[in-house]
Amino acid sequence: MLNLTQTDRTRREFEGLALEHIDPLYSAALRLTKNERDAEDLVQDCFLRAFRFFDKFERGTNIKAWLFKILTNTFINRYRRKVKERTVVEGAAREGNNERFVARDANESASNPEQYLFDRLLSDDVLKAIDGLPIDFRLVVILADLQEFSYKEIAEILDCPVGTVMSRLYRGRKLLQKTLLGYALENGVIQGGRVLDEEAQEEIEGEATADVLEFRRARGDA
Amino acid sequence: MPSPSRDACRQIEGFVDAYVDGEFDGREALELEAHLSECPDCSHKAKLQQSFKSAMRRAAGTGFAPPRLREAVQARLSDPRAADDLDDEAGQRSPSGRAYRGFSNRTRGVAIAAAVAGAAVWFVAGGLSRPVFGPSALTRGLAEDGAALHARTLPLDYAASDAASVQRWLQGRLDFGVNLPHFQPAAALQGVRLSTVGSRAAAAVSYQMPQAKSRLTLLIVDDPEPKMAGTLRRVADREVYVSHARGYNVASWRRDEIVYSLISDLDERDVLDLVRAAQEH
Repeated sequence: MLNLTQTDRTRREFEGLALEHIDPLYSAALRLTKNERDAEDLVQDCFLRAFRFFDKFERGTNIKAWLFKILTNTFINRYRRKVKERTVVEGAAREGNNERFVARDANESASNPEQYLFDRLLSDDVLKAIDGLPIDFRLVVILADLQEFSYKEIAEILDCPVGTVMSRLYRGRKLLQKTLLGYALENGVIQGGRVLDEEAQEEIEGEATADVLEFRRARGDA
Repeated sequence: MPSPSRDACRQIEGFVDAYVDGEFDGREALELEAHLSECPDCSHKAKLQQSFKSAMRRAAGTGFAPPRLREAVQARLSDPRAADDLDDEAGQRSPSGRAYRGFSNRTRGVAIAAAVAGAAVWFVAGGLSRPVFGPSALTRGLAEDGAALHARTLPLDYAASDAASVQRWLQGRLDFGVNLPHFQPAAALQGVRLSTVGSRAAAAVSYQMPQAKSRLTLLIVDDPEPKMAGTLRRVADREVYVSHARGYNVASWRRDEIVYSLISDLDERDVLDLVRAAQEH
């Protein structure tokens, strides 16, 4: 009887802390699994698993990040091995480097400084573009751009160094932006657009963004 | 115009994304902002990145989970069996045939133990009843997959209380015809959820038993392989195979190439009574 009460209290505590994050977890699950049924299954498994390991959760720390770690782990373990996406990642990253990158119309920002290309994109196009990303890139983009986790939190969630998070994020965003610009041109959201100047082209082809630590080191902080 | 801060640009442009991502605060942020305020190029880059991030969030960052999902999670959390299911799932086939790997090393150990135990249970329950001609891989996994599905209380794809409309709804969604048995008045039809067993499409039909307050799941899948798993029982001239998975009793029978499996926590006699009642219709 006492045991039951204890379990009950734990469950209530867990529900109080964890269930309020069901919306962002479901949004992320939807972009990971790309369909509602699997997303629901994934979120259910995530909560059950989290409840099971709730005694391992350090009270007072970031429960949202902890839940996302369980969500991504469950997803990766369950779905990943069946898809050989690793090779796709390599291929996609390389291909991105040789593409000519179409960007802003020179007049666009001048005539309407607050109106940017991405403001006019259709949400369906954005979804399609995200869903088309290889999983390694999709994961960091979901965590950084959709859920707004910090690089450090993402590194903890995915169990990898901050530098890896940053380079995947950089490449993932470039791939996404390229696809989105393609859609925008197709739909006539933008006309023509000019190819970026040489310098910008270089930036896109060049190495990923520098490490934040490097920035701090250069400034003598780290 | 080439601004005097050209060098500053070179130093800072790599950090614009990180700035927009909110990675800097205090003095670092101030320094970057000072540069952005006097450099149209970097400032444009920052605003473009900001508009990209907002477009992403607008499209996919702020959805709501369906209310039924929240209910299903709460239902599963309050089910004392919930914790056990995970252990099973960690090493066993999940309903769609995918295997889990544990969350940590510790779980993996438990998972392997559970998988071995699961295999032993199957061998005793189903393996011995047909020592020479083994049941097909599909029917062997059926009880396990059905029990896993039943334990999860997943939301229904289509809710209805009469068999005819469920059958109509299933037409075109499955590549085989379904004849729903009638369990009334003992059990009331709730609706159906589409699922998969192995790589085959299946229908998981839910029933509620008002008196016993327990649920039934009837899993329907087509399986041309004639061998069935479990202990053979005869019920009203029909061969019914009884097996056990995850603490549930599973009664399976076949109509032509379609296999029906009834999963519940009723004891075997009650399950067979239900099946008998259903066959009489």
